[in-house]
Amino acid sequence: MAHIHLGEGSFPLWAVALWTTAGIALIGTVVYRIRTGGIKTHQIALAGIGAAASFAIFQLNVPVWGGIHMNLTGLVGIIAGPLLGTLIALVVNIFSAALGHGAVGLLGANVLVNASEAIVAYYAFRWLLHMDWDIFPGSAAAATVGLSTGAVLMGVIIVVSGVNGSALPRGDLTIAVAGLVGLNLGVAIIEGLLTGFVVQFLASVRPDLIGYAADATAEEPAGVTA
Amino acid sequence: MQRWKQYAGLAGLAVGCLATGWWGFRATGGALPWAKRSAKALQRGVQQGSGSLIDLGRGIVIAGPIRKGGLLAEFVGVVVLLMIVAIGLYVYADRYRSTTEVDRTAS
Repeated sequence: MAHIHLGEGSFPLWAVALWTTAGIALIGTVVYRIRTGGIKTHQIALAGIGAAASFAIFQLNVPVWGGIHMNLTGLVGIIAGPLLGTLIALVVNIFSAALGHGAVGLLGANVLVNASEAIVAYYAFRWLLHMDWDIFPGSAAAATVGLSTGAVLMGVIIVVSGVNGSALPRGDLTIAVAGLVGLNLGVAIIEGLLTGFVVQFLASVRPDLIGYAADATAEEPAGVTA
Repeated sequence: MQRWKQYAGLAGLAVGCLATGWWGFRATGGALPWAKRSAKALQRGVQQGSGSLIDLGRGIVIAGPIRKGGLLAEFVGVVVLLMIVAIGLYVYADRYRSTTEVDRTAS
């Protein structure tokens, strides 16, 4: 799914500074909100599990649509929430960049992309539940919308930044990036359906984990702060 | 909301995404792995291509930079580390919840 795979030095310096600053601002906001609001106990475990699963699947290239990898960020956003989902996106991208999968200089941009997937998936899922959607169609649609948002944001970041060493005029670059975004949308629905099955299963065995049970909202924060 | 409307909405979303994906697949070179596709499209623009959408013969492989860089051990190490942390957090969360439930019952 959406992830900028360009090497170091692909973006001009001003773009690296811009996306890094935006990424730091997002992480700072998330940490502040976690410190002031606390985290529910069950979310702590889900964050760890989500980070492990997301990192592992991030590195596996699936031979579909030519060869792509999944992120599970939609699933992470739905089960761990938008705040922890953003932190998980940061952790996964740091470890991935350390292994050469994604440039260190593009950490800010990639965190923005993956965090947007988790955040949009979470709020879309809550909104669809509010609209009386069932778990499976709601979570599948929400994850697809979240992942599509990340794909579009990835395209916007690349087009706004420009790519060093590419002779393409901005118009041609936009069309090329639109093709990459389009391919990501095709992957988004597949990952979205997989997310739907996982959330449906979780809702059947542990509805409190996804906040589907009434008692989940009554749980006290663990007092753990970032 | 009626169930058929929910699934109709999801089906519409699926059709739109798959159609856009198919256009993107063809417009950016066809059956190419993502890294090659990305580099080619961003350097040379869109170029039509084709090929199988699914190539099971290649199997599921670990991302090129890790595989070619000889970092498989490090990758497995990080996965194991994250799994240990995740299990530790699960145990902590489970015990914390049990403790607080006992405290609430006692009070």
